[in-house]
Amino acid sequence: MSPPASTEPPATPVPSPSLGLEIRGVSKAFPNVQALSDVSLEARSGEILAFLGENGAGKSTLLKVINGDYQPDIGTLTLDGQPLRFANPLDAHRAGIRVIYQEPEIIPGVDVAENICVGELPGRGGFVDRRLLETRVRADLDRYGFSAALPMGLMGDMLSPAQRQLVEIMRAIKSNVRVLALDEPTSSLTDDEVQRLFALVRRLRDEGVAIIYVSHRIREILQLADRVAILRDGRLIAVRPAADLTEEEIVRLMVGRDLTAMFQRRRAVTDRVVLRAEHIASNWHHDVSFYVRAGEVVGFAGLVGAGRTELAKVVFGELPRDSGSVFVDGRLVSIRRPSDAVTEGIGYAPEDRKREGLILMRSVLENASLAVLQRLSRFHFIQRRMERRLAGEYIERLRVRTPSLEQEVGKLSGGNQQKVVLARWLAAKPKVLILDEPTRGIDVGAKAEIYHLIDDLANQGLGVMFISSDLPEILGLSDRIYVMQNGRISGELPGPGATEEQVLALAMVDHLSRADPVPKSTAPEEGLAG
Amino acid sequence: MSEAPAGEVDGPATPPISPFRTALARVASVVRPVVRFIGAENLSLVIVLAIEIAVIVSQTKFFLGQQNLLNSLGQNIAVLGVLAVGESLVIIAGALDISVGSIAGIAGVAAALVVTGTGSMQLGLVAGIMAGICAGLVNGSIVAFLRVNPIIATLGTFAAFRGVAFLIAPNGYPVGVGTQPDFTWLGSGRILGGGGFVGIPIILIILIFVAIVGHVLLRYTDFGRSIYALGGNATAARLAGINLTRVRLGMYVFCGMTAGLSGVLLAARTTSGSPLNGQGMELQAITAVFLGGAATTGGKGTVVGTVLAVLILGVLSNGMNLLGVQQYWQDVATGMLLVTSVAIAQFRALRSERARTRIASRG
Ligand SMILES: Nc1ncnc2c1ncn2[C@@H]1O[C@H](COP(=O)(O)OP(=O)(O)OP(=O)(O)O)[C@@H](O)[C@H]1O
Ligand SMILES: [Mg+2]
Repeated sequence: MSPPASTEPPATPVPSPSLGLEIRGVSKAFPNVQALSDVSLEARSGEILAFLGENGAGKSTLLKVINGDYQPDIGTLTLDGQPLRFANPLDAHRAGIRVIYQEPEIIPGVDVAENICVGELPGRGGFVDRRLLETRVRADLDRYGFSAALPMGLMGDMLSPAQRQLVEIMRAIKSNVRVLALDEPTSSLTDDEVQRLFALVRRLRDEGVAIIYVSHRIREILQLADRVAILRDGRLIAVRPAADLTEEEIVRLMVGRDLTAMFQRRRAVTDRVVLRAEHIASNWHHDVSFYVRAGEVVGFAGLVGAGRTELAKVVFGELPRDSGSVFVDGRLVSIRRPSDAVTEGIGYAPEDRKREGLILMRSVLENASLAVLQRLSRFHFIQRRMERRLAGEYIERLRVRTPSLEQEVGKLSGGNQQKVVLARWLAAKPKVLILDEPTRGIDVGAKAEIYHLIDDLANQGLGVMFISSDLPEILGLSDRIYVMQNGRISGELPGPGATEEQVLALAMVDHLSRADPVPKSTAPEEGLAG
Repeated sequence: MSEAPAGEVDGPATPPISPFRTALARVASVVRPVVRFIGAENLSLVIVLAIEIAVIVSQTKFFLGQQNLLNSLGQNIAVLGVLAVGESLVIIAGALDISVGSIAGIAGVAAALVVTGTGSMQLGLVAGIMAGICAGLVNGSIVAFLRVNPIIATLGTFAAFRGVAFLIAPNGYPVGVGTQPDFTWLGSGRILGGGGFVGIPIILIILIFVAIVGHVLLRYTDFGRSIYALGGNATAARLAGINLTRVRLGMYVFCGMTAGLSGVLLAARTTSGSPLNGQGMELQAITAVFLGGAATTGGKGTVVGTVLAVLILGVLSNGMNLLGVQQYWQDVATGMLLVTSVAIAQFRALRSERARTRIASRG
């Protein structure tokens, strides 16, 4: 299947000077990895072009070439007919190209208003003019409907992933953009926020901006995009109008094979309660009680900021608990720090892989075996052969795309990094596994594999606490669902048979009358946990 | 880059293997395990060392003499080397220990007191090492339990331990151990000598032993892995279930232990347990670790790199001594070496990682 760009209709003359960004024959290699080979396509002004492809297919690399972070090995870029040559991202910004990355860069010690206007703070005699700054930022936020989701005075390090994303988007659209590229912008947004973002993106398109949109959410792409480009192993496989494509077809093009049913659950719920939390109260919670049985997948649904991640961290000993008790296998346990929780048989795969999951400069192997070091060691010596076997098994099952187990984790693509964190905890096989947004940023093929693994683990008698903002996966996978809202459990539903409407109703009961809309930090100083 | 299957078919199926390439392959098969041991990231250190030696050898014939290599050079680097191995662990874990020189001072006095009191070299050695372990426990507790920043914590104990060294020395005077040949043998003794060979200094053997222990600890144990994890990302390490308190205590104890040992060696070599021993050595040790390729942010570094850096520094000062260069110039050269090497490493890191200067460049 060849991209339409390469078929040359000899009769028709060259189309009038194409507006927008033109990518011609771009290749980019890293040691042992050909990230892009000979990619040609154009992002037209006033059009939304979506990139789809498996983890490691080269989507982010292509955006980094467009943004001037990487120079292509060969190939050219032209914008509105002008050839481009970027030495660095600043050049790209000057030319009107903005790329919003998977991991936005936020300055921790500065509030939202200043983060949005970084580099262009309105000044008066060397001082920042706060009032002017705030009026401007407020106007922008109001215009796009984000003022509730993004309180202006919040400090950078207090922002949730969703809010970080919004800051980055606000930064970009403030300046004069010609090409706006978004790398998985919705992976940490709620449905509501997604719809608002879409409205914003459509509006920019209608204003004549060329939009490039990268996502693993196929349904979203069909809803939003005008054209879809599919990448596989660094090559462009197809570029088609979105209207001509169906979900199944996209999956087939992406993965190169048909996927069987995504959610297949065998019921394995037993009577044994592996994890029970009673009357948990903390900075973030009021009197939360729940339980997880062996062989059970318990979904935790709710809006971003409802306190699900914090609940996991309180149980895991990472965040302080004011009162309440935790039982593992019916035994009251004292968990004062995460290592206690791991000793008791609880595992936690965090949602924020870069900050909380990975040692970026260390190898895939070291990261994957980190939670099982003790089990792998004899007299403190790591049994290397066993380590390779154990880590390798899950790296392979999750299809982590890496040249070797020795590769630095920081050099993997975003989705593959996420898989390494999962591999770590799947290899650890605790009694209870807490998965916090495990499929964020992961391609369909690997998602199906992860669902499969979760089902396997439940069958082996593990209890799974499954936190996700993706309703279909919560509904498709859970035996039981807790819905959280503003630091409380607002309802419990049986997994099979529950509907999206039921969950949403519980998630938003008194959403609008929330007393304290300012979410608290989820990234405490180290000292808090001790 | 992109394969061209059509072209391959017409080309010669198997190109004739040139003798040159087989020779190259043979060399490579010998070199590869060596490189793997040294570590690719340490190759530039080997090159620097080779250049340094070549320059010095071209200037003076004394450098390659047995006496110089095994005595002046070997004995000089040993004390610093032992100290730097312990410091490596702490720096790789993203922390710092400024107090090691002061710990060496305490250990030297303690060992000298015990040796002169009991006449037993072994007891003296143990006393010095125990003193180091205790000091390490103090550092570790302050950092791990009281959560004081490592720089501040060990800056405090840097001064306090030096005071302790004076307090335990009788009236603050050095304790002479010149009359204890067993003990001074640790510093200047040799084995396997004879027939024109001056023998291998004991102190060098001790350094090699300590370096191997440090290397094995970092590379093959769960403790070592935890140190890299802690230095690379403390939050992630904690959430993976590593008990950071224990790791922090352990690494400061190990560092204190090597500092104690190096204090004993220094006392044995100078035949005096002086409370002033080891002054300024903390800076040399830290210099060596960073020169050896440890990341300032933690998470990266090797004992092999540190030992190579100690060699580079030792050869530099030894060579300059032989050439009669003033001490002041030696200090200038050492400082420049550190700054340039870290600057080069930084520059390379910047270029190879994507230079994401988006925010900075806008500000
Ligand atoms: N700095 C780097 N050094 C080495 N390899 C790299 C580097 N950056 C990317 N790669 C490799 O290039 C390939 C493409 O990566 P890229 O980040 O573009 O994937 P992606 O399509 O964005 O995937 P995802 O959906 O997981 O985000 C991957 O195999 C990745 O490991
Ligand atoms: Mg990506």
